[in-house]
Parts: sequence; structure tokens; C-alpha cells
Amino acid sequence: MTTLPTPAAAPASSGGPIALAGRFGDIVLGLLRRREVQLIVAILGLFAICSALHPQFGVPSNIAFILADSVTIMLVSVGQTIVVLGRGIDLSVSPILGIAAVSIGFPATASHLNIWLALLIALVIGVGLGIGNGVLVSVIGIPPIIATLATLTIYGGVQFIICGGYSVINVPAVYTNFGIATLLPGIPWLIVIGIGIVVLAYLFLTRTVTGRSVYAVGNNAEAAFRAGIPVRRILFTTYVICGLLAGLAGFIYLCQIGSATSTSGSDGNTNLYSIAAALIGGTTLIGGRGGPIGSALGAVFLSEALQAMISFRVNELWDPAGVGVLILIAVVADRQGSPVRHVLRRPFRQPAEVAK
Amino acid sequence: MSLSATSPLGTGPAAKAPRAQTAGRQEARWVATVAVLLVALLAYFCIAVPDFRDLGVSGILGLSEQFLFTGLIALGEALVILTGEIDLSTGAMSSLSGIVMAALWQQGINIWLAVVLALIISALGGAINGLFVTRFGIASLLVTLGTQFIFGSVATAVGGNAPPYNFPKAFVRLAGTGSVGPIPNELISFAVIAVVVWLLVARTRYGRGLVLIGYNRAAARYAGVNVQRTLFSSFVICGVLAGAAGIFVSGYYNAARDDIGNSLLLPAITVVVLGGVDIFGGKGRMSGVILAVFLLGFLDQGLLIRGNSSLTATMVEGIVLVLCLMLKIALDRRAGVRLKESLQRRFGSARRAAVLPDT
Repeated sequence: MTTLPTPAAAPASSGGPIALAGRFGDIVLGLLRRREVQLIVAILGLFAICSALHPQFGVPSNIAFILADSVTIMLVSVGQTIVVLGRGIDLSVSPILGIAAVSIGFPATASHLNIWLALLIALVIGVGLGIGNGVLVSVIGIPPIIATLATLTIYGGVQFIICGGYSVINVPAVYTNFGIATLLPGIPWLIVIGIGIVVLAYLFLTRTVTGRSVYAVGNNAEAAFRAGIPVRRILFTTYVICGLLAGLAGFIYLCQIGSATSTSGSDGNTNLYSIAAALIGGTTLIGGRGGPIGSALGAVFLSEALQAMISFRVNELWDPAGVGVLILIAVVADRQGSPVRHVLRRPFRQPAEVAK
Repeated sequence: MSLSATSPLGTGPAAKAPRAQTAGRQEARWVATVAVLLVALLAYFCIAVPDFRDLGVSGILGLSEQFLFTGLIALGEALVILTGEIDLSTGAMSSLSGIVMAALWQQGINIWLAVVLALIISALGGAINGLFVTRFGIASLLVTLGTQFIFGSVATAVGGNAPPYNFPKAFVRLAGTGSVGPIPNELISFAVIAVVVWLLVARTRYGRGLVLIGYNRAAARYAGVNVQRTLFSSFVICGVLAGAAGIFVSGYYNAARDDIGNSLLLPAITVVVLGGVDIFGGKGRMSGVILAVFLLGFLDQGLLIRGNSSLTATMVEGIVLVLCLMLKIALDRRAGVRLKESLQRRFGSARRAAVLPDT
């Protein structure tokens, strides 16, 4: 449901071991067409190659680093996925993350703010800023890309004002210890939280009426509207959830990095990486297709690929290009069938429907 | 009732005429609104901010040197957005073009030849975007999101550790800080390019095709517009204009930097939207975009002169964008846009879902 619809396995010819093998082949092929499976294969494959070529790549601490490093993007990208499934987009996630991080960072360093209270504050900030986006998009009716472009600059300014020229440094050890704590060697606590959120998001999207409505709205808002789905309320909800997760990501960012500045979030390309992870995970920007599991795997893959580039001494300046190439590969792979055949067979994109 | 209400060719003349009139009137009214806002803004700064007033006419015209490169990107971006696509790689393209020009010049190539070569590189970059969009049929938002990263990395790689600076004086005068009387050279170049782009969109068959593609791709095909070629060329033009912006930026600062264009993309899109171009394509006028370049630019510069920090100025720009859009939505509603259309515009529909990345 949250994944690409598996093409129906072609009914194989009747009986016999060959047919059985054919059926098995169909199942394997069908599985391989699922983006999640492709990504797991890619993640493991890349890991195997890198471990073979580089002695330090496969050690538990490096695995832990890759996983922990992916959590911030994973959380933001799950929120982004929910918005994108409803055919929206949220370009303001980076300043939401940043505002959450600095707003709890200052009291944490100055007066040893309780870590749980900090978490709560970060979540409330995320929800509040998400409500701002939701109002602009679903109540006033500004196109999402423009509305969140505007809030990107507005929230960015707010973050700058909150900082007032200062940066958060020397975050108390309570926070940073939480950032590096591991459950088992190679498995940081942060990834456990990340997985928990992904599972919650998956259950929300597949098992609740609101969650399923997100897919309906993303597929065809007008049909959803006619079918009695409260389109505006659903859209509003998606932005609030996205804000919430960006706020949580801000909290985790602070614990992990141990500092925050007026450009935290924005300087790490959080916006684009979160969208990139969603795209690599098979969520389409036209809405209604994809899911949080793919996005989470996409975030891990991104983190792993970037770490691999570091391990092999690829200059850091090529990081963005690596992400760009991954995005293009993902979107080309997203076209059904081989892109080359697509070009040969149908040089001109047909409009889906001719107005009658 | 079918969706045909939105197709200018699909229905009888009775349905067609009123829509065309309403849309045209709405667009004209928005251009007028932007013009009024621009005058009001300049009047406000002249009255309320003494430092701004003291600049005098030539000083105020000189301020435009600070934002016209954003305007150049906005012109190209407007072409692409009118077709219902979007180009997120323009900022990175500007950086790349400036860096390529500077690097070539550093290698001993004549500066003007370097400019031409950089523009050719930009055209190629735009062509790559266009190719992915038209041949592979991938949503432009995704393609240009990817190429943006790639162009940026290439720019950093070409630039190296110490990007070149201190270009020949003649180049800096023409592209950057020179002026004819009180009018900066950059303003003259911008004016010429803006008029050409305006004529292209408003007065040629090509421009009409461009807008029709954004309005209804199927109708455009039936009307004999070569959709693929028009889309492709709009990306190439957008790339060249972004490249030109990069060259002007480098000239103005007399230095090339690999990240100089990054901060230009969002203001450029803001300008296009403020200028009244529908982000889903098919609606809008270049005259509105050209006015919006000055509206947003003078707003920014005026706030800076008043002593606000650049981030506050950016924040105010965001608020202005939201307020203007609210005003526009209110005006459109009063003009009687049909419920159906406003629903479609707001939430999209199945038809759009299939052809557009209208997120």
C-alpha cells in the first residue's frame, strides 16, 4: 500500500517444474521491482563493496556512525514524505529543525534545561511552525511550494533573531551522551528512535482513516473531495506532522552535533536531502505513491553513500553531485520499464487525458 | 459538467470568450497592482528613510545593480514556470557560469571569449535539464533538483581553492559597476534583455505557445504547438539567462565564487510569483515579473539602508510574498473565478497529476 504497486505476476503456463520456476522467478522479479527491496539490496551491496575495499568501513563504530548520521534526515524525510503523499511539499523543514535546535539549545546550555522538557519544547515548536504552513496551504490556499518558500525565509529570519548573533556551544553532557549512546555495538539509540517513528508513520498511513485519506488526496484531490474526504483538514494535518517530525529532528540534531547556529538546518541542505531521501525511497512528488519505509531506507542509503565517498577520499565538494546523481538515477528508475526503451518507443510524452 | 471549462479550445465560443476575458483582466489588474505597490514602496522609503532619499535619483537607480542579476534569473525562470515546469538549478547554473568564465580567463583566454563560452556551457546545462524533462519525461522539479547539486559541485571543482578575481577593467565596467550618466550599465543590459523576453512571450507565436502549454498541454498540442521543442527551448533560454546572471554577478563583485548563485534562486522564484505568474503555469505576464524584480529588489535594498539585517530583509520578503498572494487570491475570487477552477488550482486534479510536477 505504501509501496509501488507490484505489477501482477503474469500467469505462468500450467503445471510442471518449469512453471514453478517461472512463478518463483515472477515473485523474485516482483519483489525486485519494489523500491524498498531494491534499496536494501543497494545498501547491502554498497556495504559489501566498501567493506571489501576499505578495512575500516565494516567496523561497528562506522556502522553506528552511518546509522546515527542518517537519523536526522530520516525523521525529516518521513515528515516530508507524508506531505508529499498529499501532493504538497515542505521547503521550510530546515529552519523548523534549526529553530527547534536553537530554542532548546540556549536554555540547555545556560540553565541545564531538563532533557525531556527540551524534547517537549522542540515538539511543540515543530507543531506550531507546522500549523503555520498548514494555515497558509489549506486555509488560505497558497500553492504549497510558494507557501513554504515564504515560510522558509520567514522561519529562517526567526531563527536568526532567536540567535541574536550567538551560537549554541558546549551543550550539556546529558544531551550529547544521549546522542552517542548505543543499544548494542553498531546500533545507536538514535536509530531505534528513528525506526520507531518510521513504524508509527507507516501504521498511521496504512491503518488509520486520516492516513489513508492522505493517499486519496494525493492521488486525486478533487475525487477525494467529492467522496467526502475533508481535503483541507487532511492537508493541514500533513503539514503539522511534518513540522512535528522536523522539531524532533532538531532535538536530535542538537544531541548529535552538540552545537547549533543561526544557520543550523539550512547549511546542511536538510530541505533538499529530505526530499532526495524521499525520492530515492520511491515516493513520487506528484503524490499518492510511496511511503515512509522507502524514505527511511533512502536516508540510510544517502548517509552510507556519503560516508563511502569520505572513506575513499573523494573530495567533499563532490557530495552534492553524488546526491544529485542518486536523485536522477532514482527518478529515471521510477519510470516504468527501461528508460532507454521509453525514449525509443515514445519520444513524446502524451498528455494523460484529453479534455472532452 | 466536465473539465472542459478550463480548456480554451475544447468548448464552444460561448464558454470560451468570458473565460479569456476574465483571465486577461485578472492578469492586467495584477500587473497594475504590482506597479502601484512599487510606487507606494518607493514613496514610503523616500519619506520615511532619510538615507534612502539622500541617495538621489542616480543613487536609487544605482541600487538596482544589487538585484538585477536576480531579475535576470527570474526572467528565465518565468519562461519555465509559465509552461508549468520549474527550474531549481538556475542558482547553481549562475555560479557555474561565473566560475567557468573566470577560470577560462585565468587560463589566458580573452575575457569576452570566456563570457561567450560560459554562456554556451549554461545553454548546455539548460539543454541537459530540457532533455531529461522532454525525452525521459521526468518531472522538472526532480530533474533540476538533481542537476542543481551536480552543477554546484562542478562549479566548486572548477573554482578550486582560490577562485579568480580582478577581471579586466573594461569587463567590470560593462558587466558590473559602470554607468552611463545616472543609469548603471547593468540596468541597461537588463532592460534590453527584459524587453526581448517580454516581446518573446507577449508578441510571438512561440510565447503564446509557451503559455498555452502551461494552461493546457493537450490543447497546446491540438493547436499545433510543438510541446516538446518549446519546453526544451524554455529550459535552454532559462539556462542562458541564469548564466548571464552569473557573469553579471562576477562582474559586479569583480570576483567569481562557486556558491555565489545559491542565494539567488529563491528570490528569483519569489519575484516570478510576485509578478503574478501562476506556479502551475499558463497564467501571468512578463510585465508583472519585470515590475516585481524592482518591487522586491527595492524592498530589500530599502530595508538594508534602513539598517535592517539582511536576514530580516529576507524574512520581510517572505511575509510580503504571503500578503501579496493573499491579496491576489482575494482579487481573483472577487473577479469570480469559478469554484471548480479554484478547487483545481488549489488541489490539482487527475489531469494535472499526470503531466505536471505541480507540487
